[in-house]
Amino acid sequence: MRIVIPGEVVAERPERMENTYIQEGRTYAKVLGMYDSNGRGIIPLEGAWMPRSDDTVVGIVSEVRNKVYVIDLSYFGRSLLIPGKYEEYSFSVGDVIEARIKEVENRPTIILSEAKPLSEGTVMSVKPRKVLRIIGKKNTMVNQIAGFTKTSIIVGLNGLIWLRGGDIGLASEAIRRVEREAHVSGLTETIRRYLEEKTGTKREMETG
Amino acid sequence: MASSSNKPELIVNGRRLDGRGFDELRTIKIVASPLKNAAGSAYIEWGNNKILAAVYGPREATPRHFAESTRAIIKCRYAMAPFSGLSEHGRSGPNRRAIEIAKVTKEVFENVVMLNEYPGSQIDLFIEVLQSDGGTRAAGITAAAVAFAASGIPMRDLPYAVSVGRIGDEVALDFTMIEDNYADSDMPMAIAPRNNDVLLLQMDGKLTREQLSKAVSMAIGAGKGISEIQKNALREAYERSSK
Repeated sequence: MRIVIPGEVVAERPERMENTYIQEGRTYAKVLGMYDSNGRGIIPLEGAWMPRSDDTVVGIVSEVRNKVYVIDLSYFGRSLLIPGKYEEYSFSVGDVIEARIKEVENRPTIILSEAKPLSEGTVMSVKPRKVLRIIGKKNTMVNQIAGFTKTSIIVGLNGLIWLRGGDIGLASEAIRRVEREAHVSGLTETIRRYLEEKTGTKREMETG
Repeated sequence: MASSSNKPELIVNGRRLDGRGFDELRTIKIVASPLKNAAGSAYIEWGNNKILAAVYGPREATPRHFAESTRAIIKCRYAMAPFSGLSEHGRSGPNRRAIEIAKVTKEVFENVVMLNEYPGSQIDLFIEVLQSDGGTRAAGITAAAVAFAASGIPMRDLPYAVSVGRIGDEVALDFTMIEDNYADSDMPMAIAPRNNDVLLLQMDGKLTREQLSKAVSMAIGAGKGISEIQKNALREAYERSSK
């Protein structure tokens, strides 16, 4: 793994990889990212969220129109929630919801479905490119943070994270640390030790 | 402004006023991502120039009718702080010169940033000159390129910019403010290093054909060093945060 810079040659022949482009028979990086020489492409270090259908997102209701909700996903396009006939929930402006992307239309407009309210709690915003690291392989990272801090956490792929209960301060601190050090290897282990240390000292203080 | 009646000697004993040779750059330092709230940012010290560049977005284009359905639009603001210069820039706010520089800077990045990835959106670029000493548009573009790369917005290349020109019969690189004011010709250039595409070329004064080609090759020669400084700044930003 090495850091590549836009315009850097990653292959001397044309190869189809994510976040690269091909010109005059060579493959170039188009974003700042980590290049995996096994040819799996470039993992971007920064950047905006690119919505895909089936993504789980966390959003805030910003407008209620006749039968349509406009949802703020902190994204440059529009996102709409069009409830079906037998919808279980209704929302008002300012409500936090969890939803799935049904489809991404052109212009771009996101159509959401399966919306659920997230009552109480707080919302924090992280860099969208770090979200996959915060979730971890098979949810290991987020489960670990939730387990240690006893906080319910829902991570939206758009970069908004909802937290409720437990030690929210520690949970958000741990998430911030993952965000900061997302490109470092062995992070799950580091965070585990960090959480052990923090929750351990807290217990001692309570008993002492 | 410069007038020929009080023109100082710009070359003394075959050296320039600050002791540089004709093809020497001033020292350049770049820090990537100094600003937390921006999508990407960079701070550059190019000789006595001190400039901040910041990229925000992509976000929803406002007003809505400026949005393009097939690509993002770039909005650029170039501004000199009221305290940045020696005398002439005492008034803040946009003026003819700032608007011109913002326009040519925007066009540099419209040619390297892959705008079609974010249709309907707007990307804001801010260049704030805190201290100026000649060649701020070149330094601003060099910093803005780092800010764009640090924001993760896809781009074909990492452009750099540098000014070249002529003092008497000598072609020289990277003018300071005093050289800029009194030299016979001044030509800022922005170049995409991957295939040396010229993204910006403006010229004051006159150059002969031979001087022009010498100036261009001087700019491209210096560019290798500038590019390396830009890339190191981006790498260092990640090494710094992992400590």
